[in-house]
Amino acid sequence: MRSWAILLAGLIVWAVHFFLLYGIGEFAGEGKGPRLAVLAITALALAVVAMLARLLLRAPGGDGFERWRGRLALAGLLLGGLAVLWQGLPALLAR
Amino acid sequence: MSSETGFDPALYARFPTQEPRPPEEEEELRRIWCKPKGWEYLTVVNNNYVGIYYLGTAFLFFLLAGVLALLMRVQLAAPLMEIVPQATYNQLFTMHGTVMMFLFAVPVVEAAGVLLLPQMLAARDLPFPRLSAYAFWAYAVGGLCFFASLFVGLAPDGGWFMYPPLTSKAYSPGINTDFWLLGIGFIEISAIAGAIEIIVGVLRTRAPGMTLDKMPIFAWAMLVFAVMIVIAFPSVILATLLLEIERALGWPFFDAARGGDPLLWQHLFWFFGHPEVYIIFLPAAGMMSMIVATVARTELVGYRLIVLAMLATGFISFGVWAHHMFTTGMPPMTTGFFSAASMAVSVPAGIQVFSWIATLAVGKPRFNAPGLFVMGSIVVFVTGGLTGVMVAMVPFDWQMHDSYFIVAHLHYVLIGGMVFPLFAAFYHWIPMVSRRALSERLAKWVFGLMFVGMNVAFMPMHLAGLMGMPRRVYTYLLEHGWDLPNLVSTIGAFLLALGILLFLIDLARNFRLAPGEGNAGNVHGAGTLEWLPNALYAARSIPVVNSREPLWDDPQMSDDVAKGRYFLPRSATGLRETIVTSPLRAEPQYLQIMPGPSPWPLAAAVFTAGFFLGLTVQAYPFAIASGVLAVVGVLRWLWETDRRVGMEGVDIGADIRVPTYVTGPKSHGWWAMVILLVVMGMIFAMALFSLAFLWSNQPGHWAPPAPLAAAWTVLLLYAAALALAVAARALLRRGAGWAVAALLLSVLAAGAALWLDHGQWRATGLIPQASGQAASVFALQALQGCALVIGALMAAYCAARAVRGLVSQPANNTIDVTMLFLAYAAGQGLVGALFTRVIGIG
Repeated sequence: MRSWAILLAGLIVWAVHFFLLYGIGEFAGEGKGPRLAVLAITALALAVVAMLARLLLRAPGGDGFERWRGRLALAGLLLGGLAVLWQGLPALLAR
Repeated sequence: MSSETGFDPALYARFPTQEPRPPEEEEELRRIWCKPKGWEYLTVVNNNYVGIYYLGTAFLFFLLAGVLALLMRVQLAAPLMEIVPQATYNQLFTMHGTVMMFLFAVPVVEAAGVLLLPQMLAARDLPFPRLSAYAFWAYAVGGLCFFASLFVGLAPDGGWFMYPPLTSKAYSPGINTDFWLLGIGFIEISAIAGAIEIIVGVLRTRAPGMTLDKMPIFAWAMLVFAVMIVIAFPSVILATLLLEIERALGWPFFDAARGGDPLLWQHLFWFFGHPEVYIIFLPAAGMMSMIVATVARTELVGYRLIVLAMLATGFISFGVWAHHMFTTGMPPMTTGFFSAASMAVSVPAGIQVFSWIATLAVGKPRFNAPGLFVMGSIVVFVTGGLTGVMVAMVPFDWQMHDSYFIVAHLHYVLIGGMVFPLFAAFYHWIPMVSRRALSERLAKWVFGLMFVGMNVAFMPMHLAGLMGMPRRVYTYLLEHGWDLPNLVSTIGAFLLALGILLFLIDLARNFRLAPGEGNAGNVHGAGTLEWLPNALYAARSIPVVNSREPLWDDPQMSDDVAKGRYFLPRSATGLRETIVTSPLRAEPQYLQIMPGPSPWPLAAAVFTAGFFLGLTVQAYPFAIASGVLAVVGVLRWLWETDRRVGMEGVDIGADIRVPTYVTGPKSHGWWAMVILLVVMGMIFAMALFSLAFLWSNQPGHWAPPAPLAAAWTVLLLYAAALALAVAARALLRRGAGWAVAALLLSVLAAGAALWLDHGQWRATGLIPQASGQAASVFALQALQGCALVIGALMAAYCAARAVRGLVSQPANNTIDVTMLFLAYAAGQGLVGALFTRVIGIG
């Protein structure tokens, strides 16, 4: 499970972030409060992505498979972080 | 090198072995994996046969749905044509979409997985061959019955996504809609069975040494594809169940006047429906990545990024479902979330496209048949992708929604992203199963006609859409000005069809099936393991894999494999068997004994189809009898499995010994059951979502739920059921009777809990016909009832095996999987009882 958690870290953060945002939109409405909540959750998700990336960069090298897994996970964190950022923007734009 | 299981990777250095193998070993393998004769062709379970059957049937549905498309194009070729009446036209477009999506696109890639994966991973077969056979026969029999509804005027006519209220009883009173709901629900079961097989196969039956970073990209694609099926398909299964219940019993899940909501259908359908597009695309993209490398005669550029792109697609595609609902009046911020995700999902698709282009650029591409289809696919798919980004923008989507622009977009994506790669795959892999490759000369004509025809057919549809032509109209007036683009589209459709006809002629001339003997061989010079010398038992021995293209890196490998110099050069137990390896690093763990041919998967599939068909045409006694016989069929096929062989451990080559029987989380049966429970968990989660959705959108129809304080007996009984199920595994050490007693008591406790729960809700005065809330609560209880009936059957089956002395001690796989199922069922009941009381409380 540890390997899968490392591989999919960035995408798991994206998924949690997305479904929280959808839950807010669906069940809490779109007033100022929900919009602030969306921005706060987005900031938190980005912080988690940054923290996980830092952990990965500091992890020891390991064998070929572990290095491959680490690099894939880093790319996943980058993609997940971008998607999280993009996903949070509608809260700034919606009126 | 690190180890995942304690296996010493240094042992791989013993291969290839040097001493000659006795010739009788190969003879024995041939005897064990022998060719069927006569009626045995119906009972085969070997992937070499089932995969071909599966592919052939899926391609037949492609042709049938294509004929429907041609009929529609003739009808639309000119204004006010009267080739088919309006009602028939409605059936044609519904069946075209439904058959292409459900009976061609998903099954054909699943079929490719069944055929190619064992060879690519150098396994003897997929881990559950009888399940593969069942999945195929269920799909074939069910699909053909479903298609036949067209000939008696009973085919569904509500569009492939079957929106209520159009499909509710009030507006669709016939059984046409029921054919769709029950037929598709049933066929999805087959798809899920295939997905379970593929996940366990990819993760647990890879050749030793094939770590995840050395796995063929097609196997990665199939892994993500199968996981997506497990997550997405439960949603449409639930949706079809709810709509069928609404139609049959009047429970108003989708009736706004009684506290339901038709938008709930759209959420449930598209939570499946949009990932479905990627479910179709990913395996095709996996094929593309394999073929591109061979066509360009170089390693795939960006293997790691492609894996990431596939994983990212698997995630992000679950965040785009509501982009089909932009015109339903969703609030702006929520709309923005889905618009953002719809744009984000194009990034991983873009990564793959750039990787293919880069591979072609750095290699020396050949313009052979697979090469032409690969390049054509990139052009067509990118065009469809660009219009996809356009419709991800909400204001543009508002203008184009339900217009022919969308028809053009989706055909570019699906034909470019799936059909062209599939044809590339046909040309690439047919030499693996046929004595002769297909004709290169004819292939150029096939490609030319299909490429030109496709563009001539669908490019004008963008214009027709921009000119305002809506989808699904059976005719139009001359003054609309849509006649010229429609005429051109019709000409294009026939050009496309001509290309496919030429392909069929080529097949008739050159395709000579040769499962396991005398195929045309590696004519394209590919580097992966499916091109090893093969027989019905797959490769003679199972090689150690050290790279992604082992045949390129070790030119001796084919010869060494054929001479039995690697793992499992013989049958260690005299039975069908394969090596089960660890999921990350593919280290040998144990020898799986595989079941052989059996008529029971076929019988179970036929009777399962009979059950659903009986329900559809309201022949209830026939349906019940078929249902019972289907259960008997499944139990009978299982009866011969999960038996120990005389040997505890066996030599699988070079003095490396592994056990022949393992239980618990290491066993492949445990994995399959966990995946099945994820499917059930998703159905349950979507049912909870439905209840919450109705509470959020129909607060005026919400009544106070059953009191939470009175629920403690229900919760206590479910907790007891869970504890009893878990205890069964430990009690097995004391005796099979103890374990079985714990399982049966678990069923009893959970049954009592459900009975009490139901009684408490009845006491509130709510009736399921009265409101969406009550309908959803009672549907959850019905779901729980189904789980418990299955659990009771499983416990009774364990009891029967115990009586016949078939439950091994101190651990047994049948007891393990029953324990898992009952523990899950108890947990599901507990969560359901709490959730229904908490939502909308006060």
